[in-house]
This record gives sequence, structure tokens and C-alpha cells, in this order.
Amino acid sequence: MIHPETVIRFTGILIFFLGFSMGAPALVSIAYRDGTTLALLYSMSISMGAGLLFFRLGKIKDETAINHRDGVAIVTIGWVIAGLVGALPFLLSGSIPDFTDAYFESVSGFTTTGASILTDIEGVPKGILLWRSLIQWFGGMGIIVFSIAILPFLGVGGMQLYKAEIPSPVIDKLKPRISDTAKALWKVYLLLTVLQILLLVMGGMAVFDAACHAFCTMPTGGFSPKNTSIAYYDNAYFEGVIIIFMLLAGINFSLHYRLIKGDYHVFHRDPESRVFLGIVAVLVLLVAMNIHGSVYDSLTRAFRYAAFQVSSIITTTGFATADFDTWPSLAKTILILSMFLGAMAGSTGGGLKTMRIILLAKHSYKEVFHIIHPHAVTAVKLGGKVVPQEILSSIWGFFVLYLGIYVASVLVMASLGLDMISAISSVAACIFNIGPGLGVVGPVQNYSSIPLPGKWVLTFCMLVGRLEIYTVIVLLLPEFWRK
Amino acid sequence: MKITIVGAGDVGFHIAKRLSDENQDVVVIDKDPAKIAQINENLDVQALLGSGTSPEMLKNSGVNNARILIAATDSDEVNLIACMIARNLNPVIVKIARLRNQEYLREEKLLGKEMLGLDQVINPESAMVETILNLMNFPGASEVIDFEGGRVKLIGVPIRKDSRFVGQQFRSISKGEGGLLVGAIIRRNQVLIPHGKDHIKTDDLLYVVTTPDQLGSLFRKFYAQDRELKRVCIVGAGATGASLAAAMDNSKVNVKIIDRDSAICTTLAENLERVTVINGDGTDGELLREENISEADFIIAVTGDEESNVLMSLLAKTLGAKRAITRINKLSYLPLVSAIGIDSVVSGRLSAVRAILQYIRRGKVLSVAPLEGKHAQVIEAEALRTSDIVNTPLSQVKFPRGAILGAIIRQDNIIIPTGDSVVQEKDRLIVFALDKVIASLEKLLTVKLEYI
Repeated sequence: MIHPETVIRFTGILIFFLGFSMGAPALVSIAYRDGTTLALLYSMSISMGAGLLFFRLGKIKDETAINHRDGVAIVTIGWVIAGLVGALPFLLSGSIPDFTDAYFESVSGFTTTGASILTDIEGVPKGILLWRSLIQWFGGMGIIVFSIAILPFLGVGGMQLYKAEIPSPVIDKLKPRISDTAKALWKVYLLLTVLQILLLVMGGMAVFDAACHAFCTMPTGGFSPKNTSIAYYDNAYFEGVIIIFMLLAGINFSLHYRLIKGDYHVFHRDPESRVFLGIVAVLVLLVAMNIHGSVYDSLTRAFRYAAFQVSSIITTTGFATADFDTWPSLAKTILILSMFLGAMAGSTGGGLKTMRIILLAKHSYKEVFHIIHPHAVTAVKLGGKVVPQEILSSIWGFFVLYLGIYVASVLVMASLGLDMISAISSVAACIFNIGPGLGVVGPVQNYSSIPLPGKWVLTFCMLVGRLEIYTVIVLLLPEFWRK
Repeated sequence: MKITIVGAGDVGFHIAKRLSDENQDVVVIDKDPAKIAQINENLDVQALLGSGTSPEMLKNSGVNNARILIAATDSDEVNLIACMIARNLNPVIVKIARLRNQEYLREEKLLGKEMLGLDQVINPESAMVETILNLMNFPGASEVIDFEGGRVKLIGVPIRKDSRFVGQQFRSISKGEGGLLVGAIIRRNQVLIPHGKDHIKTDDLLYVVTTPDQLGSLFRKFYAQDRELKRVCIVGAGATGASLAAAMDNSKVNVKIIDRDSAICTTLAENLERVTVINGDGTDGELLREENISEADFIIAVTGDEESNVLMSLLAKTLGAKRAITRINKLSYLPLVSAIGIDSVVSGRLSAVRAILQYIRRGKVLSVAPLEGKHAQVIEAEALRTSDIVNTPLSQVKFPRGAILGAIIRQDNIIIPTGDSVVQEKDRLIVFALDKVIASLEKLLTVKLEYI
């Protein structure tokens, strides 16, 4: 049974906090005198007021009252409403006057997709640009996980929320208490973000741009304050730094935490990170060989652009330094397919996640093995540990649901008049939270040309992808609301 | 503070729950995936699937920097080995083991510094015997909890319809003489901290703080008609029943012990002097009547079968036994059993939980009510000079509503406070408080309350 008053109260906390965080872009807009200060302050007061109202309307009787269903409802409803709150500054400042566009941009931010409907990003005022980057940063590690870290009273209720938001098939509790786990993850996230800002500034990037890029790299978001994304700089040092941080963001944050705690072999020991980094290396090699000669004459340049594009797509970041839509077919196909792979479980990236791919592959192999040895007793193992059957079935269910939603959305997009490549890649780019696709949504294009219903379908895909399907889908079932 | 618990059974689960409610960092290890899943679903602790006797597992659980290891599985051997491995990994860790086999308990050398170095051994059976003896000494009490090594007692007194206190104000209980104070009441399953002017209602459960020498007068007050303890009938001669009988062998009380197993009865009869040993079935009404159960002050049902214990207690009470003490195992039965008319319940697991928690807290924080436990605490704190509470008569101290001073410990004296009492510097205070007023209590005492 779900407790509506708990859901309302928690949503209130969320809205209030998001409103409060609009203070940062408001200050920036004052500093740059970009004329959006008032719009930001209005959004801030509306959100904080609405947050307080919700907080008053609902009540949490007891922290154990947050059961599994409440957790799922809070997370999904919270994200839908966060999208609305995020859209307020876009609408009020007039940067994105249309509601559908503003909501699309905002959800694309929170879900760390990075798909934009803006045609002239550099013309958008600084305060709004910072807000656009900031919502990606919040969305990356998770707005709910952030609340768990700062709200002391959640207790075991926090665990229900955490499970519903964290993008991973298994829960890795770093610390005995869930709020400490959430704090540890956010600290790692903050540390890496600050580090990236410093490295970019040291290379000569403007502080504002460096912050915006770092806010969008760590969550594997991909919003850039520049029209041509990272290609604007044409600077190998920036690209190198961003490649490294994209890959770091695509690695499970528990591993970063263990590394910081002094376990230096953790990347090597973890089977998932070995496979993930291996896949990246192989794909970079293949793409580089494919584009060498046909697009770039120099091998170094081929590697430089291949490395950036592959890392950006596979970690589902979506920055670009080259228009890969014009690359040869093999390179393009590899990039499209690596959209499906995605980053590691427990990272800020999207996609199916390396861990699921590994487990699906191993499980399928066992099935074939059983045809040869019908009486064999087998177990699927990962890193020497047996993976329980429930996790495997939940991954298969996840996979099938993902494909189902994917196919249905592609059909809708095609029926709206998109060509095949654009339909296939736009849905993939949104459901796996990447951003740029191919064709009309290619790296040098944007989503403004998508018809209105298409934008709503893609918005839904972004949410489904970020919250990993189950959390969103259960809310659509009538059984969920029954007492 | 980090605490590792091996075993997620009833005992492990409840300890983990209490400790995590008090904001401790708790890690629980169990090899049953279902129990781990249950913990993950219900508690904010880290639950690890694996064997508590695996050095690798204990290392991963962070025993190296944990303060306390609690080995609380149902198997003595697993508990001992877990403690041994933990000691090897972390020589300074405090080790508490739950041990049931009496043979191990006798091997002090084995358990002591040289071999296993256990800091505390919790034997649920002897803890239970202790509780039963306490309950018999204070007939009418539903619960007796010792503080300060028994120098302060917290007694649960249920108020029945016919009690002369129904409708009276709380202050009338302690009026006239010092030495007792109602610290907390449980009314309709909720913990309340009473105010002097509140009224007592039927079915309240009062938690009264007192000193052992005041017990007589306490019980005269509540139960004028209660006679001295004369006849007791124990059913079940397992470890608990047998040690209970042995403990009462030299008292003036007429004790009978009933067991189905004739061999056990024979051994028991050989070892006991005055206790009458009867071979028969405790659920047999004829046998109970034959043994004059109607004259018994207490029926103590402590067989290993909890359902039979409940039934024979009810049977004995309908046949005329005055009070029943019933042993149950499943902690989830606790609230139910008092509802069907059994006076007091003992449980090996509950005793183990309480003994372990008391050891961890070393008398600093004790639980008021294990059933509704999470809403109220009994806290011990030192009175600092800077606090408003010092050197002012208590009636003028602004105590937060929802908290009450239960006892003052001044060097070796225990003072049960009245409105005129004055707290001095360095006194230790035992305070009852609802969880929600703990913050304002901290402010009053100008200390951060120490939970451990």
C-alpha cells in the first residue's frame, strides 16, 4: 500500500531543495548582468514556496512508513516534478519560450541525456546556461540519493529510495548506513568534479566554461555551453582531460571510493571494469582504423577523434569533437551499437550497463552448454561469486522491457515522419541517455526539428532510461495503486 | 561506532535493529540469503551474505576497524570460531558470544584471556533463570530490569481494573514516601512519560524505578492482598527448568517440577534435595489437578515447545494457579501473549538481546520497553556544573515534557528524587525520555548524551 502523504512530503523537500539551488545561477546572472536574475529569483521563490506547501500538506509518520512502493512512487513522481521545476527558469527567462521544449530540455538535463532543442546555445544567458549544467550535475548522482545524504531521518526508508534510483542491478552498500553510503558517493562525485574543473582551468579554459563542462562530464550528461560542443576548442589537452573524466564517470563509483580508501588494484580486480575498459580499447582501435585514411590522414588524429567519440558515446555522455554522422558505415554502426552497451553499473552513465551484458552473455552460454550436457549443474558466476537466479531473471525482464519500449518508440518516431536512421538513433540516444544520435539528431544537429508528439515520446524514453525502466513502469500498472 | 554482528536470526536481528535505531554503524553477516534480504528490507544496516566463520568474510566486513563483534548465531561453535577469527584479525575488538551449552561455560580458561579472550559470554538460559527468579520475587510485575548491577530496579507493573490506583494522579503513588517513581507508562501500546498530574487508567503498564529495599512497600501499595510466595510448579526440566529448580532448592518455597522424560526426572531427583520431581505431561489437566495446581502461586512453563507452554499456562490458570510465567521463543509472539491472559513472558532470545545490549551500553543507556522500545530511552548522564539542573530543587527545573528524572546516583547512594531533591555536581542521573525530546534534554544537561 502506498502512503500518499509521505510521497507528497518528500516531493516537497525535493522541490524546495531544487529551488534553493537556483541561488547559484542567480548569483552568476547578477555577476554577468545577463538580465535573467529576476527570472531565476521568481523560479526560485515559486519552487521554494511550492516545496514548503507540499511539505506542509504531507507528513511522514515514521521513517519505516516509506515502504518499497512509496520509494518507487517518490522517485518516479519526484523526477517528473523535478523536470517541471528545472524548466521554470527556461520558461520565465524566455530562453526557451515553449513549454514542451523547456520540459524536454530540463528532463534531458536531469536524466543526463544531453539532448538539446537549443539552436544557438552561445546566445543563451550565462545564468540559464549554468542552471542547464547544474541540473545535469544533480541528476547524475541522483537527486534522491542527494536527499538521502542530507536528510538524517530517513533510516531504512532511505534504502527503499536508494534502490529505486540507483542505476544498478545489485546494490552495493559502501557503509553500514545508507545515508553514509550516499554521502560517500556524493563526496567522490564532488571531488572528481572539482578535480576536472581545476585541470580544465589549468589548460586555459575560462572558469565558467570549465565548471559547466565538468558539471556535464561527471554525470555523463553532455550539455556544452558551446554550439559545437568540445569541437569549439579544437584542443587536444581539453579533449584528453574530458576523455579521462568521461571514462571515470562511466566506472562504478564504489570502485572510486575503494580506490580513494587505498585499494589500488580495484579496477584491475573488478571483472566488470576489466571488461568495460577492454571494450573501450577495442572499439577505439576499430573506429580509428576505420576512419584513418577515409576521414583523417594522420593516424594520431584518427585515434584522437576515435577515442573521444567512442568514450563519449559508450559512457553515454554525448560530447562531440567531430561530426561522426559523416564517418564511414562501420564507425557509425559501432557508435550506434555502443549506445546500447553503456557504462558500468553504479556509474552515472546510462545504457544497458556492462554488468548486465556480461551476465546475459554468460547466462546465454550456459543455456547452450545445457543443450550439449542436458544434466549439467551450472551456476553463473561473476568475479568468483555466484549470481543468484533472481538477478538473472530480473536482467532478462529488464532487457525485454527495454527492447519493447525501444521498438514501440522507434515505430512512433518513424510514423511521425523521421527517416529510419534518425528514428532508430534518436530513441537510442534518449533511452540510453546519450544525447546526440545520427541523421537529423546528429552531433552537429539538435532536437528542435522533432515534431511535438515525438518530443514527448523522447522525454518519456529519457526518464525510463535514467530510472532503469522498472521504477517507472510499475507506476503504470493498476496493481501498484491497489490497497 | 562500528559493530559487527554474526548471525541474523531473531537475536542478531533485534540487536541490529536496536543499535541501528541508535545510529550505530552495524554490519550483519549471515549465510542465509532470505535472512539477509529480510534485513536489507527492514533495517538500515549493511547486510553481508556469507559465513561468519570465514576469515575472508570477516575481513571484508571491516572487523579490522570495528569496535565490537557480537556472535549471536544459534550455534555455539560458530560463535566461538567467529570470535577466534575476529580476535586474530583485530586483537583489541570487544567480543561478545552467545553460548548455550553449559559445558563450554564451565571452561573458564578456554573462554578467558589465554585462549579465546571473550569479553562477555551471554548465556540465554541463565539470563532467563535470573529473570524468572526476579519475577517471582515481585509477583505482579510483568518485567524486572536491573540497572547499576541491581542497585536500581525498573519494574513493569500492570494496572488491573480492581487496582485502587485507577483514576488517581501519578503523584499520589509516590506521595508520602520517597523511594519510588513512575518513569514511563505504556498505554495502548504507546510509551508515555507521565506528568505528576496525569491520571492512571486501567490496563496501563507502569514502569516504576525503585531500590531493592523499597520493594516491599511498593508491593504493599500495589497488591495489598498478595501473600508470601509458597508454592511453585515448574513444567519442563530442560536447561532452564533444571537450573531454576536447583536455584530454588534451598529456599523455603515448595517447588514441584514436572517433566515427560523419566530419565531426566531420575537424574534431577538425584541431584535435588527438597524439590519434588514429577514424571508426567504438563498439558495433562488431571495431573495438574492431582498436584494441587489450584494452590500454586506460580506456574512456570519452560519446556522447549512454546505453543505447549502457552497452552499449559492458560490451563493451569483456569485450574486456579495464581500467576503464570511462560517461556516463548519467537519474539514476534511477545505482544500477543500478554493479550491472551498470560502474566509474564520470558524468552531466551529476548534475554540474550537484553543482556548483550546492556553489556554494550555498560549501564549507560538501557531500554525501557523492549516491545515498544524505539520510542523511549533510559539514559544515564553525569550532571555537569554548567547545567541548569544542578543546585536547584527539581520542582523548579524546567524539564522537557516527555522526560523524567528516574534516579540520582551520588557516589554509593541511590536517591529516588522527589520535587524537593537537589541534583549536585557529578551526580549520575538516570533519565527516562521519549526519543523526540532527547534534543531538548541534551540542551538542559548541557551535554551531548553519550549512547555508548
